[in-house]
Parts: sequence; structure tokens; C-alpha cells
Amino acid sequence: MNCQHQSLASGRWRSLSLIEQLANIGSEVERALNWRDKGNPIYSQRALERALELIGLTVEDPRHRARLKEITRLREAILDYFLGENLYQSSSALWRKYFYAFGYAARSRIK
Amino acid sequence: MFESRSAVFTGFGLISRRPLCYRRRYRAMKIVDTSITLDELKAMAGDRFGDLVKAVVDVATGVMAIDGELHADEEALLLEQGSRQTDLWGINIYPELADKDRIEFDSIINIRPSQGNRSRGVDDPAIKEKIFQIVARWVKE
Repeated sequence: MNCQHQSLASGRWRSLSLIEQLANIGSEVERALNWRDKGNPIYSQRALERALELIGLTVEDPRHRARLKEITRLREAILDYFLGENLYQSSSALWRKYFYAFGYAARSRIK
Repeated sequence: MFESRSAVFTGFGLISRRPLCYRRRYRAMKIVDTSITLDELKAMAGDRFGDLVKAVVDVATGVMAIDGELHADEEALLLEQGSRQTDLWGINIYPELADKDRIEFDSIINIRPSQGNRSRGVDDPAIKEKIFQIVARWVKE
């Protein structure tokens, strides 16, 4: 297994709140969207792979046992959007809106 | 069940169930206040994310922290060194790309409503230009 987020995979990811985790996942999803819009499918794919790695770490986080449905549905819907047939009819605008809320919340304490 | 979550006892001894990457040594972040070559950045990118190197730029002092896993880590490093948070901006450097495509203004740490920056990018063109200049100053072909 080739992890790109090595220290996060070793356990540091679990020191972040769920909001921070989703905000960081959102960063990679945003990059995947941006590179796709710019016509660079390779960079888009790499960003998507990083997002999926972080989602995997989030699923493994034992603090989220009681709310795994949100995270596993998120994973399925993202894969459906980028690699599937978009059965759930999501859009880049939807994904940006969904993740922006977590980014905003994660940084809202910063003055 | 006597099986721990991180390891399993087999006839061949205690085998870690964690993937190889869990056991790698972690590379330290780097503060750039002198020239760094594009080849060095390419090696960093190849060693971690494949295409990009994360960086946080201090637009007041002109230094930048690079090669973190998260922009927040690089931000913390610069804050520890005395930087002010309002001067720090997160970017990604794509060493294989040229000119303006090389820098991507995209980081959670840039979301600072109190500073008038509500996006993950850098909304102020003057700050953007400053970041371009700082990266161009340190990164050599």
C-alpha cells in the first residue's frame, strides 16, 4: 500500500476533529474538480486518490463509528461523480458548497 | 478474541497489520529562505504526493515553509518561527508545470473571513502577485 499522507496515516489524522478532516478531504476534492476543469485528468485523478485516502483514514477513525453512514455515502457519491455515471446527479457546485462549509467552520476560530 | 487491531499473532511471529507506509520515517518540513531548485521540488513532489508540494508563504518576511502533509502544519511551523497569521497563505507548487500554472492558490488556511478572504484561494490580486514574486525569488530552474 502506498500512502501519500504518511504521518496522518500513522495516527495523526485522528487528532483532527471531524470538521477538520472533512475540510482537508474537501481540499483534495476541490483540486480534483479544478484540474478536471483545466483539462488535466492526471492531476485530477491524483487529487481524487488523495481524497479517497483521507476518506479511508476517516472511516477507520473509531470516533466516527456512530456516524459512518455520512462518510461512506460521501465516498460512494464522490466515486459516482468522478468515476461512475453520476447516478446521484451531484455537481461540482454541490461538492464545492458541501465542503466549503467544513473549511469555513474549521477556520472560523481564526481571527 | 485475542487479536489486537494493529497486529496479529501468527505461527511466524507477531506481524504488523499496518501497511508499509505506517512504518516509514517521516520527512521534516523545510523553511525556504534561500534558493531551491526545481529538481529538488520535483523530488519532494515525487516522494510524497506525486505532482505537488504544499507550501505556506509569509508575504511579510518572504520565507516559505514547504513539504508538509497539511498546510496547517506548515502554518504552525512558521507561526512558531514568529510569523503573523495574517501574513500566511497556503499554495501548492506543481514543479512539472510552467509559469502561472505552477502555483495553485488553494488551501483551507486561506479562509479568513475576518481578513476579508472568504475563499480557499487568495482573493487580493496584490497578495497573489507578492506570492508569485516570493516563489520566483527562491525557486530556480
